Amino acid sequence: MAPAPPATLRPGPWQWLRRELFGSRLDGLISIALLGFLLAAALGLAKWAIFQAQWTVISANSTLFAVGRYPLEQQWRLWLLTTLLALATGLSWGLLRALPRSGSSGPPPILWPRNDRWAAAILVLLALWRPLALQLTLAIQLRWWAITALLLLARWAAGRWGQALPPLVRRLIPLIWPLLYLVGMVLISGGLGLVQVAPSDWGGLLLTLLMATFAILLCFPLGVLLALGRRSTLPLLRWGSLLYIEFIRGAPLITLLFLGQNILGFLLPGGLAPDRVWRAAWVLTFFAAAYVAEAVRSGLAAVPAGQLEAARSLGLSMPFALIHVVLPQAMRVALPATVGQFITLLQDTTLLSLIGLLDLLGTARTVMANPAFLGRNAEVYLVLAVLFWCCCAALGLGSRALETRLNPNLAPSR
Amino acid sequence: MTTPAAVMIEARGVEKWYPNGFHALRGVDLTVHQGEVVVIMGPSGSGKSTFLRTFNALEDFQQGSIEVDGIPLSDDLRQIDAVRREVGMVFQQFNLFPHLSVLDNLTLAPVLVRKLPKQAVQRRALELLDRVGIAEQAHKYPGQLSGGQQQRVAIARSLCMEPRVMLFDEPTSALDPEMVQEVLEVMQGLAQDGMTMVVVTHEVRFARQVAHRVVLMDGGMVVEIAPPEQFFSNPQHERSKQFLRQIG
Repeated sequence: MAPAPPATLRPGPWQWLRRELFGSRLDGLISIALLGFLLAAALGLAKWAIFQAQWTVISANSTLFAVGRYPLEQQWRLWLLTTLLALATGLSWGLLRALPRSGSSGPPPILWPRNDRWAAAILVLLALWRPLALQLTLAIQLRWWAITALLLLARWAAGRWGQALPPLVRRLIPLIWPLLYLVGMVLISGGLGLVQVAPSDWGGLLLTLLMATFAILLCFPLGVLLALGRRSTLPLLRWGSLLYIEFIRGAPLITLLFLGQNILGFLLPGGLAPDRVWRAAWVLTFFAAAYVAEAVRSGLAAVPAGQLEAARSLGLSMPFALIHVVLPQAMRVALPATVGQFITLLQDTTLLSLIGLLDLLGTARTVMANPAFLGRNAEVYLVLAVLFWCCCAALGLGSRALETRLNPNLAPSR
Repeated sequence: MTTPAAVMIEARGVEKWYPNGFHALRGVDLTVHQGEVVVIMGPSGSGKSTFLRTFNALEDFQQGSIEVDGIPLSDDLRQIDAVRREVGMVFQQFNLFPHLSVLDNLTLAPVLVRKLPKQAVQRRALELLDRVGIAEQAHKYPGQLSGGQQQRVAIARSLCMEPRVMLFDEPTSALDPEMVQEVLEVMQGLAQDGMTMVVVTHEVRFARQVAHRVVLMDGGMVVEIAPPEQFFSNPQHERSKQFLRQIG
């Protein structure tokens, strides 16, 4: 039998506290000072949140924060979209658990690992707490509960029976996301028999998420192409990519947003940027692409030259070698920086409020300008910060999950 | 050679300058026949790896001509791709694809390039892995294998494309000493099966036992070409004698 590791390797919570926080007299003093400071700040915040803050500014405007001035009689489309999103999320989540990555020979998958139980509990808590906090009507409360239940049900069903799916269906399932994006676009903007809702009527979290996802989805392939172009052997392609990247990175986003409102109409084929909202979306995309290109370039530089040589010597054409050999390895390296860029992009959408769009921040500014809610800035900004933090945390968690899935702690071959 | 065999590689007056002006190959000639095993030796910087890498266009050259299996190497990308399909290459650093399982390393190129059905390629890949003695590692990743195992996978990966020629660029130089033999044995088996091979190596014993001819290169030129028994016991050139003394 192997000897047990010494107890100091895995100390209990009290031992850990004593060793890490009160290891010496100075450590103890610093720890006590910091803990006192944190406690005072937390108490102050709690006192303000409970006794002074007036949260009606949030609950009275919750629809405005969520979707802006989206016409009331068309909002069922957004509910439908939310339901579909919940369904797709539950399905994908369950399948990720049911189907371990191919080729790995680990223990059989567990239906509900501990992290998943936590996530499910948080979802349920949110579903129970949100309607109460926002003082929603019973009809809307019921909808939120139904959507949460649907998500968890789909998660459970996919986790339970995912392995029984035929391989063809399994391979097709990731396609529901791009499909859902297209369906969502139609549901939001109208067309195909639905009443048109002009982009100027989109707002709040809806507009913020729409802009962010649009820019994230498009800036990524664009950034990869730019990064490849920058390393190309064709001088024109190389210089063009370099010029583009350096130009974009040398200008502040707000300048480009204003510039885009004026000149994008000439640069893009008509119909692609018909109004202020789409022009802003394209500027965000082009802006982020330059930064993604730099992240991908660092990833490409980390792939040994021998990888491309091996692929080429096996007869793979350049596109095949890039897609199947070089880029998967480069993306593994570039993923954290790329997701960091996505997070920045999400936060940069707040600049849209400066060019007059009613994204989350723009909506917040109109709410705060309402005389009925004068002086309630702190509440609004705090909620905004928490909302953004949740979105960014979700992106970060997703990225970390993807990293472990792509790279199950294997030493890279030289 | 006792029986006249078809010419597999024909290099004539190959000259190469690196972009920095270094004259790496100075008019190199070499003819490799079908089924022949040619070992290229020489001090580092002699141009032996560069020369080998011109055979599948991993290095370009400015003057001279190279024909592989009747296909002339030129700037024409289609011809380069055609040559690369016929020529397998094994690298010093293995260059396995770390993000793919061993089996996928083998099947990637045949499925993508030769457009063969995946099932058939997988069967063939498993046979090849069995032949190099690591069938049971098929579903592991390269990073989980030892250096010797990785190099044997790399050989199997090249063989899976059913090449007509195999190039080996110092295949045992990056290996721990106890793993050299297992790789050399696989190469020896390959030679016995009649594979045409060009091997850049410092392994004298391998050259003695397996090679049909030994080539000594120095300063970007071929110094001597001779059968191994003659090259090692009775070298003709002063530079060859000096080289053998240094590695001896």
